[in-house]
Amino acid sequence: MKEQHYSVGRYLFVLALLLCFGLARGQSKITGKVVDAKDNSGIPGVNIIIKGTSTGTVTDTDGNYSLNVPDNNAVIVFSFTGYTSQEVTVSGKSVIDINLEPSSKLLSEVVVVGYGTRKKSDLTGSVSQVGTKDFKDQPVTRLEEALQGRASGVLVSKSSGTPGGDIKVRIRGVNSITGNNQPLVVVDGIIGFTMSSVNPNDIESMEVLKDASATAIYGSRGSNGVILITTKKGTDKPRVDLDVFTGISTVPKYIPILGAADFARIENSRRARTGGSPVFTDSDIAALQASGGTDYQRALFRTGKTNNIQVSTSGKSGKVTYYVSGNYMKQDGIVITTGYTRISGRSNISMDINSKLKVGLNMFATRENRHNEVGGAGAGSPILQTLTWDPTTPIRNAQGGYNNYSLMALAHLAYNPIADMETRDLNRIDDKLNTNINLSYKILPSLNFTAVAGFGTTNSTNERYFTTPPLPYAYFNSDKSSGIQLSNILTYEKDFGKHNVKVTGLYEIQQGDYRGNSYSASNFLVPGGFYLAELAAGKQIGNDYSKSAIESFMGRAEYIYNNQFFVTGTVRRDKSSRFRDGNNVGIFPSVALAYNLSTLPFLSNTPVISNLKLRAGWGQVGNQDVAPYSTYPSVNISGGYPFDGSTLTPGSRPDGYGNPDLSWETTTQYNGGVDLGLFSNRVSVTLDVYKKNTTDLLLNVPVPNFAGGGSVYRNVGEVANHGIDLGIAGSVINTKDLRWDANISISKFRNKVVSLDGRSEIQGNFYNADGSGRPLNIIQKGQPLGQFYGETFLGTWKTAEADAALKLGAVPGDSKYLTDSAGNTILKAIGNGTPGFIWGFNNTITYKNFDVNILINGLGHYQIMNVTNGIIVGATGEQRSYMSPSQLNQWTPEHETDIPAGGQNRTASSRYVENGAFGRLSNVAIGYTFKKIKGIQSLKIYASGQNLLLITGFSGYDPESSDDGSSNDQASGVQVGTYPNPRTVTLGLKLGF
Amino acid sequence: MRDSTYKKWIGWEKLLMAGALLTLAVSCADLDEDPTKSRLAPGSYTNQAELELGVTGLYTQLNGMARMTTFVVSGWGGDDITTHKVSNKADFREYDQRVVSPLNARSASNWQNIYSTVRAANSVLANAKDLVLPDMNVQNRLIGEAYFLRGLIYFHLTRIHGRLPLQLQPDPIVDLPLASQAEVYQQIESDLKQAETLLPDVYPGVLEGAPRPNKGSAKAILARLYLDWGGFPAKDQSKYALAAAKAKEVLDNKATYHFALLPNLESLWTIANRFNSESVFTIAYNVSLNVPNQKFGKLGHPADLLGWQETFAEIRFFEDFPEGPRKEATYRTEYDWENFSDQANPVFKKIVGPPGDIPLDLFSTNRNDYYMRLAEVYLIYAEASGRAGTVTPAAWEALNAIRRRAAGKPFGTPDKTVDLTSGDIAELAYTERKWEFAGEYLRWADLVRMERVKEALSNRNPRVSKNKAGELLKEANPIIGSLETSNYFAPIPQNEVMLNPKLGQ
Repeated sequence: MKEQHYSVGRYLFVLALLLCFGLARGQSKITGKVVDAKDNSGIPGVNIIIKGTSTGTVTDTDGNYSLNVPDNNAVIVFSFTGYTSQEVTVSGKSVIDINLEPSSKLLSEVVVVGYGTRKKSDLTGSVSQVGTKDFKDQPVTRLEEALQGRASGVLVSKSSGTPGGDIKVRIRGVNSITGNNQPLVVVDGIIGFTMSSVNPNDIESMEVLKDASATAIYGSRGSNGVILITTKKGTDKPRVDLDVFTGISTVPKYIPILGAADFARIENSRRARTGGSPVFTDSDIAALQASGGTDYQRALFRTGKTNNIQVSTSGKSGKVTYYVSGNYMKQDGIVITTGYTRISGRSNISMDINSKLKVGLNMFATRENRHNEVGGAGAGSPILQTLTWDPTTPIRNAQGGYNNYSLMALAHLAYNPIADMETRDLNRIDDKLNTNINLSYKILPSLNFTAVAGFGTTNSTNERYFTTPPLPYAYFNSDKSSGIQLSNILTYEKDFGKHNVKVTGLYEIQQGDYRGNSYSASNFLVPGGFYLAELAAGKQIGNDYSKSAIESFMGRAEYIYNNQFFVTGTVRRDKSSRFRDGNNVGIFPSVALAYNLSTLPFLSNTPVISNLKLRAGWGQVGNQDVAPYSTYPSVNISGGYPFDGSTLTPGSRPDGYGNPDLSWETTTQYNGGVDLGLFSNRVSVTLDVYKKNTTDLLLNVPVPNFAGGGSVYRNVGEVANHGIDLGIAGSVINTKDLRWDANISISKFRNKVVSLDGRSEIQGNFYNADGSGRPLNIIQKGQPLGQFYGETFLGTWKTAEADAALKLGAVPGDSKYLTDSAGNTILKAIGNGTPGFIWGFNNTITYKNFDVNILINGLGHYQIMNVTNGIIVGATGEQRSYMSPSQLNQWTPEHETDIPAGGQNRTASSRYVENGAFGRLSNVAIGYTFKKIKGIQSLKIYASGQNLLLITGFSGYDPESSDDGSSNDQASGVQVGTYPNPRTVTLGLKLGF
Repeated sequence: MRDSTYKKWIGWEKLLMAGALLTLAVSCADLDEDPTKSRLAPGSYTNQAELELGVTGLYTQLNGMARMTTFVVSGWGGDDITTHKVSNKADFREYDQRVVSPLNARSASNWQNIYSTVRAANSVLANAKDLVLPDMNVQNRLIGEAYFLRGLIYFHLTRIHGRLPLQLQPDPIVDLPLASQAEVYQQIESDLKQAETLLPDVYPGVLEGAPRPNKGSAKAILARLYLDWGGFPAKDQSKYALAAAKAKEVLDNKATYHFALLPNLESLWTIANRFNSESVFTIAYNVSLNVPNQKFGKLGHPADLLGWQETFAEIRFFEDFPEGPRKEATYRTEYDWENFSDQANPVFKKIVGPPGDIPLDLFSTNRNDYYMRLAEVYLIYAEASGRAGTVTPAAWEALNAIRRRAAGKPFGTPDKTVDLTSGDIAELAYTERKWEFAGEYLRWADLVRMERVKEALSNRNPRVSKNKAGELLKEANPIIGSLETSNYFAPIPQNEVMLNPKLGQ
């Protein structure tokens, strides 16, 4: 450890010195303007690169540029989306003006592929690119929102609508059963970010690496796909941009709940059914009818507000290009007292020290605060408690205090959720700082060395104060993690006649540690707030520490013959601290081929087909994502025992079993693809077919309770995914005044558990919220992940079946479930929550100064286990009454419906399984750009709406939500008190000067 | 000037390259894991502190599992306790009405808690195997506690489910079969005998009521085990003599073990008196330390009194209960319970506490659990002597001591108005237990061992209790299931059978 700190420290020191004393020697300078060949208007943002180097610039808003070139033989490449690239040799010129032909040559863009870039037309693997231009017309507060519906093969779904909440991102299905399925996120070359912490306004582009031939360079961390994020850099001409928007959010729908008078009548009838006496008199009911009781749902939700302001400045001064931005965002959630604020700043500075050496420093800092977060679904969800709280008990009593509990001990047992939300004080504050120093040195014209050194730290503190009676309590935890990464990349690229060869070599280390500290303070002697925790009678502390490291070598060879035939081969070797010697080295190879048919004579003469490329790839990638120390058994220090009734003595207990034989999970993927360009590439189509098999799954195998319970990680089983990703992009209308660009992405996939180490099924570990102590999910051989597990609901016992019912302890009108011949209830798979169909349709229409963006997207082929509804129906767990309006049609002897009037209400039964398919109008935006205003480069105002329309048969708030968290998929589609996704209307202004 | 700057940069570049090469050459990632920085080392103990932590951990788990009524859910099978008709008490009603489902969540959770603690006890015993502490007294009593607790919780679980898989190693065996009832009893006996040998006469430095067990605690639980063993399902009559003998050992040495009956039953059930000499093993709680007892207070009241309607008293049992101080100490007789609007059942004073002791809206209390009272040892001695045919005057005296106190008299002073000296002492003591332990979740086990479930539960309809409208009250939750022996034991949780089909055989 010591040596390492030393060497890294010195390395950073040297780089810092470079930054401080950075001077550059002069070179010859060329300037010019790039204009549209058709209308002579300047084109902003044109990429200008000296061929064979990474040196370059982009044009400013008027199309002007200036560039230092090393010598007269330098060839300058001008490229821009939708235009044919041009190459010009300098040959002593100092002014080079360019007319770019708008030929919709979409394929000349440069794509980031990890440890380097590649021309889009040279790609052999499956990569989707989402650039700023694709989402600039939608006010995005989260990076994931920019991906949704815009990249094929990518599933983005909000686990909940809580401000700053988790968003699930999946690339091409799910591989791991109990492991993490979130893709790897790499920002400017630094591995392992969470998407939520990146300010979307700072993003230049995102590349999604989908197939194994593209992700294998990330080896043991590539199996879930990789998202490469490149942040903005400075352009030539200094500019300042201001982006402000403000929005309001509302809950799109209210779930129907029994009104107070109906509730009282149903409660009386429920009691009468079992010989009990009524709890409400007729006059009580009349009074409730008159007053309407309390609508807790409407008391919980409110109109939320969002304000976002982003200021950035970018430009170039001498040899230094810069992009500096600041962002402030404040969201008031749609649930009372909830909120989210984020303050972030970024500084990207890059210096051309000389013609060979380039040094950059990217820094990013952010603070997020989630206030009164309604996280965590399940029995404790305030949403669920609100939906099922006694409507006959007012929020406050006659003295003005809260009614802490239901006055008649009806409906939900929990503490009054409105009182809870109004008096709790929860702050989850995340501070993140990331520093990334990169250096690029051209050793020879064809040989380049790049080093990336990154340091990141995240401090997350969670301060929570609850007033749940009888006495308040507080909880604190602080999670600090920090990591360093050091990547050394050597790249060799050279043309030999028709042959182009590029070889990349990498040595990389990444190391991180985690420190967790927590305390709980219960029973405040003097209520007061979080910062009076010293006054608590009961105190407990907790601590944790872990660290992990990974060391890697990677090699990649790319070969191009005559711009016609392309080969890429990669191999990565990772050594991870998470596994023991003998199991800790993984080798991940890949190979991919592409053939460009459009250069063949029979195609080059075809007017319709302008591009046709076939691709095929194979690769292996891994997943090492188990907690550090998982190979060791563990002993926990548990709370303690009061031998004398007044002081605690700490105790220990065995916890994890540990599995010394643990190793990687490996995914082998085959990919075949076609890239097709039509009508001078005005329309481009990308179609990929893939098949992947994940073996040696890191499976959290449950240990039966009689053997100690819990679970143990083992490398067992196999999961297969196969699917099709289709992307179509094109200009539907392309005239001088009117332009309509459309982008369609469609993905269909099927997931299947192939083997479970000889077993036919393994129980999941998402437990129900009804106190039944049973998991809601099961993993079954031959079936997709996300199987729901429960009873089969058969309606009600009818009067004619009274005798059969009695044998099972039921009477007519009680709920009826499928049983075996011995009368035991049968538990089995009753649905599946893994979506199999993703689609998105993004449209940008420009007419003169107006532009319109419409994004529609959806999911299909999955079901939802709506436990929320099960608990609303009630008489289960902590919810003791019936609350669903369906109860108004419940079974009676005269009218034998299938709505039970009594009996067990099993919330994990087929009664609550629903179709989850939906289509959503995710974004509608209309903007107006003012042109030619003095002193202002650009001014645009816009109005937009998100989630304005949802088409679904689902009865809950939103079918997109799922309560299994963002990393896991085995209980996909389960909803237990989920926070609804809000509907948002936004007004914004973008100003550049 | 330009050239010299350039040369200077060449120098920097060389240094830089050297630095880069250095990082290439030195493998600097630390790839060895060392979990001990933040965790206790698993495996064998090397010192007293580790053993103490392990043993205290067992108590922590015991406290966690015994905290809620889940731990005593089978007690609802008795004719003394019932629950709310409609509220979310289905798991309790299943026991009350004798239709316990393999999906019963309380059974499943209790099963899980007990086996998790069994694993921890197995691990303590295995880790201490080669340990030799300087003070053998310390080591013996700590290991004695581990045996005591493992035996105690296996016994607790077998009273609910009958035959069990016997997990005795720290490494889990996932396909264990069910042991026979005799094997289960033998294992419990073996653990309790180890505890009896290893534990001291009195655990040093503890309060009254044996919050840490002593020899007498182990003997008392053994006496209870033998009494069960003599009855259903094992029916090994030879065990009655052992039960009587063990009980007598406790009674003869009660002063040594610091055990004594309290003179006044009323004082047993107050929070102030929660550590007292009548308990032969006490599970301790504390609200403010977040280790509360959540079985009492609010759970015993109907909604009329802000209650959570869980543990109600059976009407017929209440009607049959002999009048006197013991009935007053058992029930809140001052309530107009016949006219409760939520549900008309008597309320246990043993559950809700004497007036003023527990505020109406609390269910988390500092009440301790008397896992076994010395009174039970008295009555085991009397009953087992009768069943073994070795009745002595001391056996009658044991029975009479309990009867005298129940009548509000000094328990040590013979009193002709209450004392019995003839009749079937076994049956008299059996009936005495019925009243003495009403509401203490013990009645069900008595019905099982004597195969009297049918007899006790066949007629629970109230005889005399009427509401103000003059209507005779009805039993809250009528029997639905079978009262035959085949339905005495609760099914093993369905999940467990699914994970290990051998448990279904």
